Amino acid sequence: MPRIYLYDIAHGRSGDKGDTSNVCVFARKPEYYDIILREATPENLKNYFGDMVKGDITRYEVASLNGMNFVMHHALGGGATMSLRLDSLGKSMGSAVMRMKINVSKEELESLLESGVKLMPFEDPYAEEK
Amino acid sequence: MKKIAIGGGQGFWGDSPDAAIHMIRKADIQYLACDYLAELTLSIMARQKIKDPTKGFAPDFVTRLLKEAGREAFEKKIRIVTNAGGMNVQGCVDSIKSWAEAENLKGYKIGYVTGDDIKDKIPQLIADGWEFPSMDTAGSNDTSGVRFEDIKDKIYNCNAYIGHEQIQKAIADGADTVITGRAADSALFLAPFAHEFGWADDDWDNLARGIMAGHLLECGGQGAGGNFMYDWRSVPDMEHLGFPIAEITEDTFEITKAPDCGGLITEQSVKEQFLYEVLDPANYYTPDVNVDISHATVTQKGENRVSVGGIKGNERPDTIKLCVGYHKGWKTVSMLSFAWPDAYEKARYCADVIMKKMQERGMKADDVHISFIGLDSLHLGVADKSPETIARLNECVMRIAVFSEDKAECAKIIPEISPLQLNGPQGASFFGGRAHVQEVMALYPTVIPRDALKVESHILTV
Repeated sequence: MPRIYLYDIAHGRSGDKGDTSNVCVFARKPEYYDIILREATPENLKNYFGDMVKGDITRYEVASLNGMNFVMHHALGGGATMSLRLDSLGKSMGSAVMRMKINVSKEELESLLESGVKLMPFEDPYAEEK
Repeated sequence: MKKIAIGGGQGFWGDSPDAAIHMIRKADIQYLACDYLAELTLSIMARQKIKDPTKGFAPDFVTRLLKEAGREAFEKKIRIVTNAGGMNVQGCVDSIKSWAEAENLKGYKIGYVTGDDIKDKIPQLIADGWEFPSMDTAGSNDTSGVRFEDIKDKIYNCNAYIGHEQIQKAIADGADTVITGRAADSALFLAPFAHEFGWADDDWDNLARGIMAGHLLECGGQGAGGNFMYDWRSVPDMEHLGFPIAEITEDTFEITKAPDCGGLITEQSVKEQFLYEVLDPANYYTPDVNVDISHATVTQKGENRVSVGGIKGNERPDTIKLCVGYHKGWKTVSMLSFAWPDAYEKARYCADVIMKKMQERGMKADDVHISFIGLDSLHLGVADKSPETIARLNECVMRIAVFSEDKAECAKIIPEISPLQLNGPQGASFFGGRAHVQEVMALYPTVIPRDALKVESHILTV
């Protein structure tokens, strides 16, 4: 099955509240929203982040915006003030979420490309099948 | 139909005043609201005030913004609301008074709001049996964390997030500028709208609209094309980035920006800020109203103009958020840089050598974080660390951060870094100079009963 970056069909922004990271995610076009709902599940994100996010991940959907908020607890190495990470505020957590690879069917990929989705350069959606 | 426009003039303490000055000169606004306070800012200000009692507020509000454009704002009747008072509202008021006198602005009215700083009330609240529950673990199964009991003797500051009422009163009393300490960011924006439209304190839907206007403006440029993931390349004239403006009538709510400046206002730029740091969109708690944006809409209306709708409000909570800053310990950050070939391998090996040395020196660190700038210091575990990427790396900076509650333990690593330039793997060079020990302050987010606060507004006429 082809795999693409979430970034290819979504955009968003990360913020922080203490040690909690809040990443909002929106579909670049309304017709991509269902793929994002299917692929960017809290479970998939939790598996993807592994040790980086120590607490629970909750997803709050806002269908009227074709968007959602991910609230990730104990995700910033202690939070703004205490974190030893270079990015103590988790400003890069948004792009870290967007870096997750998601599964799309061959047909979905074709219609995504047709609707104007531009994949990241040097990336082959079929790389893992080769 | 009556329309009120507010500009968002500042995203944090240290932000550029350029966009605010531009708005005063060029935009059709009646109010400018400037948010200077991030979560940790008050702790930094509290520490400054301990060293020098005349400090502890954002002086650049006066020395840069008012000095440059305060007279013009006064003449155009653009009223300014800001939390630049930080930990020293009185100091900020004094500074504004001196400025207004020097500018010979007779009759200039400085409004200010007190009552957010409740550090002195803590012993009484403890005696009354209030337990200061931690909000850090709210909504999470994780119950690890700090108890108030552990930190109560190490507190730098203790400030409640106050709402819009007393800010609104100062505006009603004719203030040209209103200064607050830890008012909730969005309350600075809600207050002028509530004053102009006469919204009652339980007009939840309207209060929620005012709060969301504030939410879209309180981060300055981030609401107008700054930090824009959708398409950062598309943002025009970023060196003159405009900040967002909210225009509200009884029926409509639109976001736009000043003429003749950079940045952009699009459906996507507004959406990215709309859910930013909101957590649960159906329950966005503020001191003024519990906001529900779970069915909100954001629609492009024209060039640099977006309409926002579907915002609901519910009754505000009985408790008020309290931000407690306390001394946590100390940290050092040490760095060495390496170039191709084997940039990462050498950096990694160097970190191992240093940590072995520190083990021999008996360093008692409470936490150590090692990462490699250029490879994984931002995306950590999800960064691409494939053999191809590592082999082709041009350069890599080893970064070791050490935390300890004991300052001396934290300092032990400092003299061990520079010798590695001659004694370590090939090609190490110093990056960012010699490390120094920095104080680590932490936040304990909690709540207090609303009636424990005594918030008041005052007017000083120059």
